[in-house]
Amino acid sequence: MRGVILKKLSLFIASLLAGTFGIAAFAGASTTTHHAVAAHVTKHSSTLSPQLQLGQTLFDENCSSCHGIDAQGSMLAPKLQGRGAATIDLWVSSGWMPLAVPTDQPRRGVDKFTRVQTTAIADYVASIKAGGFAIPSGSIAGANVSQGQELFSENCAGCHTITGAGDALSGDLNAPSLHGLTTTQITEAIETAPGNMPHFYPGALTATQVKDVVAYVANDIAHPNNSGGIGLGGNGPVAEGFVGLFLGVGACLLFALWVGDRSEDDEEHETEAVKEAHV
Amino acid sequence: MIDGLFTWFDNRLAISRSGRHLLNKIFPDHWSFMIGEIALYSFIVLLATGVFLTLYFVPSGQDVIYHGVYKPLEGQVVSAAFKSTVDLSFAVRGGLLMRQMHHWSANIFIGSIVVHMLRVFFTGAFRRPRELNWLIGTTLMILGIVNGFLGYSIPDDLVSGTGIRIAYSILESIPFVGSYLATLLFGGVFPGDGSIIPRFFILHVLVVPLIILGLLGAHLGMLMKHKHSQFPGNGAREENVVGAPLWPNFFLKTQGFLFLTVAVTTLLGAFVQINPIWLYGPYVPFHVSYAVQPDWYMGWLDGALRVMPSWELHLPGHMIPNVFFPAVLMPGITFNVMMAWPWIEAKFSGDTAEHHLLDRPSHRPVRTAVGAAVLSFYFVLFGASATDVLANYLSISLNTVLLMFRVLCVVVPLIVYPITYFICKEMSQAKGGGRRKSFNVVIRSAEGGYSTVPTEAYAGYARETLEPVSVEEVDLSSILNGAEPTTPAGVYQIPRD
Amino acid sequence: MSDHLHNVAGEPVSPDAPQFAVATANPRRLEIVAGLTFFGALLAFLGFGAAFWRNANNEILGGTLGLGFLLFGVAMVIWGKYLTPRGPFSEPRPLMETTQLEHDELVADFASRGRVAFGRRKFLGAMITASGAVFGVVALFPLVRSLGPLPKKTFYSTKWRKGSYVATIDGRRLKATDLVTGTLATVFPEDDLGGAISQTVLIRVQDSGAVTTKPGRESWGPEGFLAFSKVCTHAGCPVGLYEQTTKQLLCPCHQSLFDVTTGATPIFGPAPRPLPQLPLFVDGEGYLRAQGDYDEPVGPGFWERGGTN
Repeated sequence: MRGVILKKLSLFIASLLAGTFGIAAFAGASTTTHHAVAAHVTKHSSTLSPQLQLGQTLFDENCSSCHGIDAQGSMLAPKLQGRGAATIDLWVSSGWMPLAVPTDQPRRGVDKFTRVQTTAIADYVASIKAGGFAIPSGSIAGANVSQGQELFSENCAGCHTITGAGDALSGDLNAPSLHGLTTTQITEAIETAPGNMPHFYPGALTATQVKDVVAYVANDIAHPNNSGGIGLGGNGPVAEGFVGLFLGVGACLLFALWVGDRSEDDEEHETEAVKEAHV
Repeated sequence: MIDGLFTWFDNRLAISRSGRHLLNKIFPDHWSFMIGEIALYSFIVLLATGVFLTLYFVPSGQDVIYHGVYKPLEGQVVSAAFKSTVDLSFAVRGGLLMRQMHHWSANIFIGSIVVHMLRVFFTGAFRRPRELNWLIGTTLMILGIVNGFLGYSIPDDLVSGTGIRIAYSILESIPFVGSYLATLLFGGVFPGDGSIIPRFFILHVLVVPLIILGLLGAHLGMLMKHKHSQFPGNGAREENVVGAPLWPNFFLKTQGFLFLTVAVTTLLGAFVQINPIWLYGPYVPFHVSYAVQPDWYMGWLDGALRVMPSWELHLPGHMIPNVFFPAVLMPGITFNVMMAWPWIEAKFSGDTAEHHLLDRPSHRPVRTAVGAAVLSFYFVLFGASATDVLANYLSISLNTVLLMFRVLCVVVPLIVYPITYFICKEMSQAKGGGRRKSFNVVIRSAEGGYSTVPTEAYAGYARETLEPVSVEEVDLSSILNGAEPTTPAGVYQIPRD
Repeated sequence: MSDHLHNVAGEPVSPDAPQFAVATANPRRLEIVAGLTFFGALLAFLGFGAAFWRNANNEILGGTLGLGFLLFGVAMVIWGKYLTPRGPFSEPRPLMETTQLEHDELVADFASRGRVAFGRRKFLGAMITASGAVFGVVALFPLVRSLGPLPKKTFYSTKWRKGSYVATIDGRRLKATDLVTGTLATVFPEDDLGGAISQTVLIRVQDSGAVTTKPGRESWGPEGFLAFSKVCTHAGCPVGLYEQTTKQLLCPCHQSLFDVTTGATPIFGPAPRPLPQLPLFVDGEGYLRAQGDYDEPVGPGFWERGGTN
């Protein structure tokens, strides 16, 4: 509980600071930024296709305040040049980006753009400098789910848990839940290794193996075979223990309360018994 | 017909001679005496469902290729034990229900043993002449935990296999003999030659249940010999047992209770999934899943492994590994102190008399406070077995959660002890709470203050040592109006007008 | 010790005493309730039979069966609790403490009869003890020794040898150029793919140049590659969790945290020792290979291990 409060407090102070500096910076720099953007637009717009133009506009409006003009990075956020369309697509489509406050932890949410807009941004960033992976098709046709299960167990379960529920890493980090992802997003995550996730491709996993893992995650992690009742969140036996103790033993104890005690009005008996005892 | 049959048996076994005593056996009317029965009936469920499972389970670590109903494992190399467990869950009618009932029942079995034990501890039912039964009961609990772990291990899935790996390390950590024990039991260095699954299996289905059955017989035999302990009140004395006779009252009630316990287990098995091993996949020594814990009754051990600081003892040429302290030494101390408790308490209290009337926990503040503090310690350790899950759900740093538990497992018992002690002290001042009613005399002093003094109400109280309550010396002559002061318990009673 | 039921004062209760009256004021009503509940149980059990016949799912099977048990139990308890003699009854309880007389009589019998059999039979006593003890010791051999091999030196080495290729579980030899910085892979020597003791984590922490984790290990980490035993030094779990940016390995079982760049030294949690590091080299064709076996036993500690770090 205290941890939460401390964290909230530190977050509050951080955002206060960020707010103060942000306003100051904005007051000083807003005019120049606008000029720069204007100049920038005129410089490129004639050479860009409509798709990339849309991407550029959206990037300048939503991303450039932290990631800089032409995605060259800033004090607040890393350079995105050469990271490839797949990286950008993953971070935007998963709702991690854009952040409301630069100091926030990225959290999963809904994509703030349409699919067309998101790909436009990704394509635009990829067009600035070559590198990274293109947005994958996410096709899992012909994938071997069983191979995928085995590879998932070897490579992914250590952080994301074998049921894909996700868990806390050291410090404030966490491995997110793998439910509700598209095949494209899963492929992108394996290929680009976002955040603290280690790389598996290429090298540790082949392209076919990546496809197998994606198929397993998209089919069987997202829709587990929960034969036998409520799934308890896939968090292992601790949840089962609580149910066993509180629901199982608890229900039995309630029955014991009914079965074990006398049926008759106790007061009445007490007095009778006492009378007899005093005879 | 029935009469004829009975006569036939009676003439050969002399049932009539002893049977009437049995029909008349009195069971006290208090729900807390039913807790042990939850364990007894869960054990029956365990035996019944367990026999069903053995008809389909293949206790072998041999590699086979899985072909079956569950497609995400199709074609994988798994152990025969794992394959047969998945098959009996999916391909055998009612198999999944039986498996889930078996597992839930194990949780309820050990859970109710613990609650039963708490009842016995806090009411002082372990005192003479029941020390031996306390020993047997503690042994039964340990065997229950051991057998639970064995059963949890034999499906050879990823989660339980990791548990076996840790068990190997714990065996290995025992000074002098550890490495020998480990290689002998597993048939070599981990994972051994595959003999661990059949060995755990035969221990799980034959050896340990047989010992449990034998000790259960002794436990109940001693119960018949000593007869039930009971709470004072309702005419209950040391020399009698008050309640309902076996026939017909208790027979019907307890048989009904058997079905209710079975019903709880069945409904859990029907509607709440437990140990979905097909989702975990087979155990592979270099695969691992995050957020794995043992079943709850081993959780305190896992928690202790987590909160233990990274210490090891280095001796010239030898070492005592880290896991020895939380996983061998601590449970060793725990179970030994638990077993020795009746003698420890008798040593300190000097009370070696025979007791059949139970204590109210509040009347034994030291015992109750010690029990509550120790219990809170293990509860904190149990919580510590889920540090990662807690950190994830509460969005706190994993490191903070672990440090917090390290502090809590020291601090919580130290706080629980005095709080329990003072609550007990307060409660024992207020006589007559709960079911044990006694007469209190309320006295109003000349200054207008009130004080309460308990009187001896039942013969059952004779062995109770009541704490003396200091009553203010008051000159009562002015309010007695010349009436003769009567002193049933050394206290003046005020006549009614 | 009479065979009658007694009241709480210990007197026999006559069959017309109030204790034998039914425990409820309205037995007829409860009889109907219990009867109907039994009938409900009957229906539920029939439902279970039908569900089993139709091979219904777990919820329907267990639901019908559980409901049947529940109603059956409830009806029986109603019967036993409200439609039986109200009591209370009592039975006498002999205290366990025996009298001096009982005690002395037993001791006397034991001693006097025993003297005939055991008195001055010292030789017999010695022989029964000796032969029994020998059997006890000898029996240990088939019981214990046959179980498995002695540990010998099996805890001290893995299958990694000088020149072993670094291979993935499917037998692919890895080249240094195969893996980008930040990659985690579980690797084995080719002759022990999937080996529980040889399992090793291969991590690329930087793009180029040797990584020195500790003095004396200058050549162990070529081209940014580090390899550590995957068996945790705490309780033997596979240390399968690598955080790319913080360069830390976390054990999923008990959350020991190891700092990779300083030689997998434990920085948090219960693990007492660093993960042993496997010395690597890159051969002429670019393959990653081992310089030799680990220089210390992998995995958790044991009594004979000694060890100073």
